[in-house]
Amino acid sequence: MKMFGKGLLKGLGITLKHGVEKPRTIQYPEQRPFLHQRFRGCLEFDYRNCIVCGMCIKACPNRVLSFETAPIEGSKKKRLLSYTIDLQYCLFCNLCVEACPTHTLFFVHNFELSTDRREQIKRVYTPPAGVQVPVAAAGAELIPPEALEPEVDAAAEAKRRKQIEAIKTALSKGGQKVLAKYVDTEEDAAILAELLQADEKKRDKVAALIVDDKEKARKAAQALVAKEKSRPAGGETQ
Amino acid sequence: MEHLFTDTAYMLTSWMVGLGIKPVWADLILLVVQWAIIIAIVTVNVIILIWLERKVSGFIQERLGPNRLGPFGAFQTIADAMKLLTKEDIIPSRADRWIFMSAPLLFIVVAVMLYAVLPLGKDMAVVDLNVGLFYFISLGSLSTICLLMAGWGSNNKWSLLGAMRSVAQMISYEIPLAFSLLGVVMIAGSLNLGEIVNAQNRYWFILLQPVAFLVYFIAATAELNRGPFDMPEAEQELTAGVYTEYTGMRWALFFLAEYTNLVAVSALAATLFFGGGQGHWLPSWIWIIIKTYLIMLVFMWMKWTFPRIRMDHLMAFSWKVLIPVSLANILVTGLGIEFFRGMGW
Repeated sequence: MKMFGKGLLKGLGITLKHGVEKPRTIQYPEQRPFLHQRFRGCLEFDYRNCIVCGMCIKACPNRVLSFETAPIEGSKKKRLLSYTIDLQYCLFCNLCVEACPTHTLFFVHNFELSTDRREQIKRVYTPPAGVQVPVAAAGAELIPPEALEPEVDAAAEAKRRKQIEAIKTALSKGGQKVLAKYVDTEEDAAILAELLQADEKKRDKVAALIVDDKEKARKAAQALVAKEKSRPAGGETQ
Repeated sequence: MEHLFTDTAYMLTSWMVGLGIKPVWADLILLVVQWAIIIAIVTVNVIILIWLERKVSGFIQERLGPNRLGPFGAFQTIADAMKLLTKEDIIPSRADRWIFMSAPLLFIVVAVMLYAVLPLGKDMAVVDLNVGLFYFISLGSLSTICLLMAGWGSNNKWSLLGAMRSVAQMISYEIPLAFSLLGVVMIAGSLNLGEIVNAQNRYWFILLQPVAFLVYFIAATAELNRGPFDMPEAEQELTAGVYTEYTGMRWALFFLAEYTNLVAVSALAATLFFGGGQGHWLPSWIWIIIKTYLIMLVFMWMKWTFPRIRMDHLMAFSWKVLIPVSLANILVTGLGIEFFRGMGW
């Protein structure tokens, strides 16, 4: 039997059902949205990995990306002066991230991109003076994607770098107290401090290990001390 | 509790007479006080209703609705009203100035005048008019003129189209509205709203007149210009219909009047079909508030459920469905009354 108004009652039933359901909204500034791992927020650039190949710029459909380079004397390679991401034109298509061979470009979870002025959304990255660019030489090993974290939290990364810098400066001025935690005796710490003060490369490595993984740092430190002790006296002069 | 307001009114008049004021003047002063109270009730109700409507629509759409200002966002409407009061009052240069300016005022005056005969409790009508229902219906059709004034005065094609639509719609739905109420009047044997309430002490009239209630409810929705019959506004087609050119407080007056009408129509439905202030345990004026609010919640529920009906369907529905149905209802009611009278009830 056809009943008039059946559809209307059905509609009322549906709205009533939705009316008593829990709201699906989140209270944004207080509650943060859940973001999936591959969520594309702000596009970030890490100058340390850039080999200045320009693939990202070729890949970008909207000419968001641009860089300034300078030739390196006596080499075919180029040096990065500045890298610009004009995010206002970005459509977050991920083509630049895919094109980049060294995972220099990556998306982070920060999606709060609003600024007071249009110009402020443009990001210019300038590698600090004195940093050897390019870090990775041409033909360097391509880093497999799974080895890299797909999103690096920008704030955490900045914090990590700051910590490493702090430990490095501490080590370059001696830093026996820092090292004492990672070796067995005071004497060993003194040996290690002297060694690290002389060798910048080793110093960087140890500093990074201290921040990232204390256990590895301990092993590395002890290995370095053992190596130093086993070395014949006067070996350094050779 | 039951006689709180009636006793206060009686005490007030006897106090004034005791001061040496003539009883005629005392009654007049009491009338002014009653009007002031009615306007206060209307304003407070509208503030609550706008908040409630936004909350109901939010819940139906699985949102939260306003929740920033005050507990559960209760002060949101007050903030909105303050914003509207401070807004610039724009009158279009080519508008018919006086008609444009007087339309919202008349609209709200007509809306508030409806409350004169509504019994807001037992013996609590401001004026105990013996043709109360007739007065209510005739005043209700006056608001059509206000909308037409607003549409014509704005000198804007959206406004005029909205006004034309509202006139066509409201006149069409006036007829089934009046016819549906006739059945109630026939059973109660009176046009006085207080007596209609008293006639329901055995059965509520919704049980005796379910078809009339349905027709009344639909026609009242159309009279209120509420969804799904909100053709005069129809923001997707007519920007805001008759309200297009109105800003700030003039627009707010229209808004206020609309919700005032909603309360009045719902209170009338409660009075005519749900036994008015009759009920156990609680005083009559609380019962009528509860019933009115429940009916208004149904109005809101409908608004946020149904899509807007097309203009020609709207007219056809009134003339081809509601009017025949309400006429048949009158016939059946008349026959039924004669039948039961013949059986000696």
